[in-house]
Amino acid sequence: MLDKLTLRQKILYYGLLILVALAIIFPIYFMLIVSLKLPRDIYRTPSLLPLNATLQNYDDLLNENHFLTNIRNSLFVAGASTFVSVLFSSMAAYSLVRLRYLYRDWIGRLILFTYLTPSGLLFIPLSVIIARMQLGNTLHGLIFVYLTFAAPLSTWLLMGYFKSIPIDLEEQAMVDGATRLQAFIRILLPLTGPGLVAVSVFTFTAAWNELLFALIFVSSPDLQTVPVAISRLITGDVFRWGLIMAGSILAGLPLMILYCLAQRFVVQGLAAGAVKG
Amino acid sequence: MSQGTMVDPAIEVRSPSRFSLRTSEGILGYLLVAPLVICILLLVVYPFVFAIYISFTDRVIGSEGEFIGLANYVTLMNKPDFQASIRNTIAMVSGIQIVKLGIGLGLAALLNQQIRARQFWRGLILLPWAMPAFVAFITWKLLYAPQGGAFNFILISTGLVDTHVDFLSTRELAMPSVIAASVWRGFPFWVISFLAAMQSVPRELYESAALDGAGGWQRFLNVTLPGIRHVVLVVILISTIWTTNSFEAVWLLTQGGPSNATMTFPVLAYYGLQSLRIGEAAAVSVAMLPIFAVLALIVAVRLQKED
Repeated sequence: MLDKLTLRQKILYYGLLILVALAIIFPIYFMLIVSLKLPRDIYRTPSLLPLNATLQNYDDLLNENHFLTNIRNSLFVAGASTFVSVLFSSMAAYSLVRLRYLYRDWIGRLILFTYLTPSGLLFIPLSVIIARMQLGNTLHGLIFVYLTFAAPLSTWLLMGYFKSIPIDLEEQAMVDGATRLQAFIRILLPLTGPGLVAVSVFTFTAAWNELLFALIFVSSPDLQTVPVAISRLITGDVFRWGLIMAGSILAGLPLMILYCLAQRFVVQGLAAGAVKG
Repeated sequence: MSQGTMVDPAIEVRSPSRFSLRTSEGILGYLLVAPLVICILLLVVYPFVFAIYISFTDRVIGSEGEFIGLANYVTLMNKPDFQASIRNTIAMVSGIQIVKLGIGLGLAALLNQQIRARQFWRGLILLPWAMPAFVAFITWKLLYAPQGGAFNFILISTGLVDTHVDFLSTRELAMPSVIAASVWRGFPFWVISFLAAMQSVPRELYESAALDGAGGWQRFLNVTLPGIRHVVLVVILISTIWTTNSFEAVWLLTQGGPSNATMTFPVLAYYGLQSLRIGEAAAVSVAMLPIFAVLALIVAVRLQKED
């Protein structure tokens, strides 16, 4: 911590870091090159290099496999559940952080518990409830069940952001005649702007990546989300790895780039437990 | 939000309001929190209680079923699938968590040294975690594949093995393979949380330890570890809840096979739902409730204490 590193330490430490870097990058590299290969090259002349690279898989995926429909479904479900969650949870988080009333702490505890409740416990009763509400096999039903994890997650994160903002400015505004609600909307929300964006991104990601609920609650091919569409490609007997990896790259790469660019927010959100690891 | 604690560490700034009546504050408070609470009651609390109720019935799809007491649990106890899923869940979760703890502490301590371009390394370590879980596990399925997979290609072309190794369909290899993939995807959370905590340990503590003649290892044991122990505990507990309930890893890699060698609770419950015997499937997921409840309770108490 305080010591300057000796040469031996330097070699050891950077050597270790380079090994870690290889272990991290290799799977990503491999998925990228396989996505650029045709089946005959993947199976007959396996190689760690992108020989005979082609964009054929991406072309097939987008033109023959309804992948654009899957992307649209995912965008709709993740977008809608994020919007509802962030709307409800910014109101709730303000109430829980800034206002005082009876049972407030109990409501806070309830939200913390629901945040920790695993979806593995809920999918069976939810399947009965969704069927009863006639929402089985619809994207609306899926949005509904996504709120089970999206709403507690965004509330929990937003409470953190709100608490980190000093109350003084809101009090000043109220001295100047603003109502509580105005202070919340005109002062606190704009100050939390970047936090709101971060929370939206985390919630969106959680919904975009969700597999179990999507597998259970939607069955028609034209309603499938991206994770379901891709996972269906590997449960058969024939693996079209090129196609599968092309889909994985399209589903994963934008998020990975976004997260690396916004590293600071990501680290804060991660410290608050934004994404499961 | 400063770094170093699991929840937002900012001190709550709260001075008694002088600007409005307490009652109006209360009414506004309830109004604002109501949509979320209704949402949670309907979508989490009710299903949660409902799951427990269903697990005591012989409900199937299309029929409400009758109350049959503990019969589902008795049936389950005698099922090899269920016994396997208990053993596997415990083995898998402890394997994953022990490896992640080791890597997490080691790498965080390493990055806490005078390392150049720490931001760069931290960003790099974030990559597996920024990848959607389903993408990560599908990629690992490809890495393990006997035909066209990277590991077999490397093993065979370097002459380490003569024939293809079927990592995911061999009884002895399936579990370690699932563990390795889960560790790859999950370790960034541990490293980054531990690193943030280590960086918030006051420098003076290290300085005075150094004056007392403590070496690097002793400082790690006597200053770093005590300084980050709360974060370590909360990370272990939260991650254990998630890992115990992780469906993607097993489903995408092995679907519980070969012959139940990697069957875990969530996958077994999913199969139960597919078989349409809802009562029994609910009993599988409710059976893991006690573990979850204990872990969640400790986390909740810890996190609220930090407030």
